Amino acid sequence: MRTMNERPVCHRSEDLVTYLYNEASATDAQDFAGHVETCEACRAEFAVFSQVHESILLWRNEALGSAFSPAPQTAPVLVEATPDSRQFVRHERKLPALAALREFFSVSPLWLRGATAFAALLLCVLAVLAVSRMSRKQNQVTINQAQKSDYTKQQFDVAVATEVKRQLHQLNSKDAPAPTTANRQKLNETNRRPQIAANGTQPRARGLTRAEREQLAADLRLTPGRDEEELPFVFPDEPNQ
Amino acid sequence: MEMVASDEQMVERALSGDPEAFGEIVRRWERRIFALAFGMLGREEDARDATQETFMAAFRNLRGFRGEAKVSSWLHRIAVNQCITRQRRAKVRSETALEDEAERNAAVFALPAEISPARTAEGRERSVAVRRAVCALPPDLRQVVVMKEFEELTFQEISDALELPLSTVKSRLYTALRQLQMRLQKFGEQVG
Repeated sequence: MRTMNERPVCHRSEDLVTYLYNEASATDAQDFAGHVETCEACRAEFAVFSQVHESILLWRNEALGSAFSPAPQTAPVLVEATPDSRQFVRHERKLPALAALREFFSVSPLWLRGATAFAALLLCVLAVLAVSRMSRKQNQVTINQAQKSDYTKQQFDVAVATEVKRQLHQLNSKDAPAPTTANRQKLNETNRRPQIAANGTQPRARGLTRAEREQLAADLRLTPGRDEEELPFVFPDEPNQ
Repeated sequence: MEMVASDEQMVERALSGDPEAFGEIVRRWERRIFALAFGMLGREEDARDATQETFMAAFRNLRGFRGEAKVSSWLHRIAVNQCITRQRRAKVRSETALEDEAERNAAVFALPAEISPARTAEGRERSVAVRRAVCALPPDLRQVVVMKEFEELTFQEISDALELPLSTVKSRLYTALRQLQMRLQKFGEQVG
């Protein structure tokens, strides 16, 4: 870069930067180009500023080139044709999911990255808990099903037969003294009473035996008993006797 | 053909509760704001954070946006303030950290095979020098350089964004280029 600390300064500095950045109109550009040919200061500054401009662009392209374009949305593939420049290619990016995730993490600030990581961790823990809980439930269900399936029809029949045999045996052992009719009635009554008490409901009505009917009539005094026949109809100490 | 809503209309929509509207503003401006932040701060990581903070601050202060200014100017001002605040905070950061970052960045960018290692190293050093030179500019000059070189805005757009006369923008850029040239010349003398 040329030394230009002591260079003269031209009053057309604004025109110089306008021309440098290609923003001058066609007329102004032509006018300034003619001026540069005659003005040493402008010619020197134009050369030096061009180098500075290129250096900044180089830095920008190096730093941001792979991911950045100031006019971004529909950036076509662009290759700078100059042989000297770095081959700086911008592609319209189509990122796969993993790359997009990576970019999200790289672009996000630290707190957002931390929060996302924490949320992901929490989600994993919850998922593990849910899976373990579900598998435990499934185990219980299979155990229950296995227990249920232990009772086959055959086993059930055997169990019923055993129980019936046991009950019969008990019954036989109770019936062993061959009770009389009266005893049997008593036995029936005693057997019936707890049944009523246990059930809380009256057993189904059946026809009364003769003895029962007589007993019921006696209780209701519908037939005179032997004791009653002997009783006098008139009390001796009645006054009209 | 559907008309594209202006930034100002998008702000109005966002204020009236349209959740997509502010996202559209971010989509339109994030690259330029990032470029501005990168040019101002010189570090990719800082530029990303500053860009995020800029849009968050803009969203928080959406109701404070006056329709008198353009959305672009408003966002630029917020971004520049964010960058200046960040720089003040990061003043303690050592130059070594910046150099490490430059090394890391330089390693990422693929270079053509015909460029010799010596030239690569020189280019890398030059990039570091340019960045240092830009970062050393006073904020008002640096802002114009960044808007011109990184955002590729026209002088008129910069003038509108910063609400400065066109001639002021041009003279600031001219001054900035002169200062950059002097700093880079020192670098050239050191290298040479």
